[in-house]
Amino acid sequence: MKSTNAPLWPLLLGISLLFTAAGMLHAAPSEPQWQALNHSLVSEHILPRYQSLQRSSAELATSTAALCRQPDQTHLERAQADFQQTMDAWQSVQNIQFGPITTHMRNFSMQFWPDKKNLIGKQLNQLLQQQNPDTLSVDYLYQASIGVKGLPALERLLFTGSLSDLENTSYRCQLTQTIAAYIAVNSQATLDEWTDGYADSVSNAGSEASYYDSHQEAAVDMMKALIEPLEAIRDQKILSPLGDGQVRPRRTESWRSQRSLRNIQLNVATLHHLYSGTKKSVDSLLRQQGRAAQADNISTLFNAIEQQLQAVQAPLITSLHQPETVKQLLEISAALQQLDRELSAEMITLNIQLGFNSRDGD
Amino acid sequence: MEINRRRFCQLLGSAMLLPQMTLAAADDSRSAQPMFASAAKDRSGQYHLYLIGQQGQVLLDHPLPGRAHHTEAHPQRPLLACIARRPGHFIDIVDYQQQRLVKRIIADNGRHFFGHAVFSEDGRWLITTENEINTGQGRVVMRSLEQNYAVIADYPSHGIGPHELVQQPGSSVLVVANGGILTHPDRGREKLNLDSMQPSLLRLDLLSGERLDQQQLPSDQHQLSIRHIDTNREGNTVIAFQYQGNIGLNLPLVGVHRPGEAIQLLRAPDPVNMAMKGYCGSARFDQSGRFAAVSAPRGDLISFWDLQKNQFISSIKSRDGCGLAATGNSAEFIISSGTGRCIRHNLQTGATTRQPQTLATAWDNHLTTVRL
Repeated sequence: MKSTNAPLWPLLLGISLLFTAAGMLHAAPSEPQWQALNHSLVSEHILPRYQSLQRSSAELATSTAALCRQPDQTHLERAQADFQQTMDAWQSVQNIQFGPITTHMRNFSMQFWPDKKNLIGKQLNQLLQQQNPDTLSVDYLYQASIGVKGLPALERLLFTGSLSDLENTSYRCQLTQTIAAYIAVNSQATLDEWTDGYADSVSNAGSEASYYDSHQEAAVDMMKALIEPLEAIRDQKILSPLGDGQVRPRRTESWRSQRSLRNIQLNVATLHHLYSGTKKSVDSLLRQQGRAAQADNISTLFNAIEQQLQAVQAPLITSLHQPETVKQLLEISAALQQLDRELSAEMITLNIQLGFNSRDGD
Repeated sequence: MEINRRRFCQLLGSAMLLPQMTLAAADDSRSAQPMFASAAKDRSGQYHLYLIGQQGQVLLDHPLPGRAHHTEAHPQRPLLACIARRPGHFIDIVDYQQQRLVKRIIADNGRHFFGHAVFSEDGRWLITTENEINTGQGRVVMRSLEQNYAVIADYPSHGIGPHELVQQPGSSVLVVANGGILTHPDRGREKLNLDSMQPSLLRLDLLSGERLDQQQLPSDQHQLSIRHIDTNREGNTVIAFQYQGNIGLNLPLVGVHRPGEAIQLLRAPDPVNMAMKGYCGSARFDQSGRFAAVSAPRGDLISFWDLQKNQFISSIKSRDGCGLAATGNSAEFIISSGTGRCIRHNLQTGATTRQPQTLATAWDNHLTTVRL
């Protein structure tokens, strides 16, 4: 047995070093760390996605104009393919619900959904019946009701009805073209505002000119874009169509263009990219904070959900009637909830509060 | 115990602040003056009722049995009532001078609270909004302070889901916001009647329970839940709505009611109305009763209104800002936020100042100023 007179200081030093090490590992990220992460997320995640939305929506505007000049099957298919591209791009950046996309409610203009009261159908039919030529301008759509100026209205025009509707009623075709032009203008404006100001506002957080008081505050918006969509995907895109005992396939998103499942796949892939697909990422930050095991869990969950989604049969509008599909979707929903819980827990590690009154008010 | 850098900085910070505060307290008796009280959630997830002094120091830290919503200050005595968030069952009555829990009121069997209560102006009664669970009907219940908070009156609220209630100053009129949303404790906070909900604003005589007036919204606006209100001396009520439909429809989110008239909806300029994201969290008149503040925590902004002219004045950014209270100055408000920040905004000077603070906590929906 050692002498009780042995000096205590090596032990104390050891303990204090241990605490220091633990302290460093668990410390919340510093402002420069948040700044670096935000920079990566803006330049490698957000901007490329808005660029892709801008490109595809410009092509859609061109191809719907071509369809009106020559309404044949080839031009219709081209316009439908460009619609799918644009919807791909939108579903891949739908998670960003802050900054320029919220200006003038562009996010809602782009896609008003869910539409429980069939507002889009009613408003669109009204326009189609009246055939007022004054409504055929982007300026008109600026102040028009939210239901008739976005992707869901365009989906109805391009994917329901027949080619002869477009041939025989030039108004219908011109409305299609005008809505596509409006979406292109909106996408361009969103991108321009990011590159001409909002990206600087993020990188200069804390300065007088910035919207943000700190880099951490800007990171809160980024983290909301990572976590909040998980619940929306689960509740609106999966559980609502599953219904209460009886499936409701028409509650799926984009069922007319048969891409409900693809939307969910793109949404999850987008969140996965936001989590770990950039040079500096939430994943790398968690590892720096000594949370490698938790980061591994989150990555595993993302991969598992992506695989589960691959196994589901498309299109949901028909496959939803199969018990196997229901079972798969319930499993995916549970996995999304688990992912939500794990990511939310790590926000505490990172000292990020997503919102108290805004997310859970009364 | 895990010691992280933040905790270490807090310890260091408090150790450095302590001597200054003690000195300040000795120097200046004003420092012990309370500024506001509010429920909050601390960083470890525990709920508290805090009373904060003019210098930002903690004058009372009362642990709560669960999450609370509104805090009400007694008009004459050093008492705070802190009401459980719906569907909660407790109201803690705390004496902040003696630093003790005076009474924990528990909701009767078959009832729960909705998060709001007021002391009557004469200080004799505590009045709550409650849910009669088996019928889903709202109740307005009066308890007597002289009789150890025994129930002395139990009135119907003539609606579902009554939320905030206020007394019109200098009158015996109670104004009650019937939110219209049916919930049942078995289903948590799930909204059970969004398709058929019918919110209303009730004016009630507090001595008799008689319904003096009840206003509903037109049927195409029935999903604008009437949740948070304040009433001035003239009986004009400012209303903060929460829209239960698709917020892309961009409905007006603020209303004003004058006795004998219909509710009038007020819309902020489009960019602001849109930015409010369909959801207001709190409404308060200023000390003069002319100006009102309405918070929009989902939009990270506070809007200000001139209710003499029914006009929007301005808005300021306040991330996760929700709690509002009038200060003793005209056109001036204190704003608390879920990020822990507290600011003071004066409409006349346009100045926004950060309140001194020694506590890092998430302030819950409502705060009250405390002046005795």
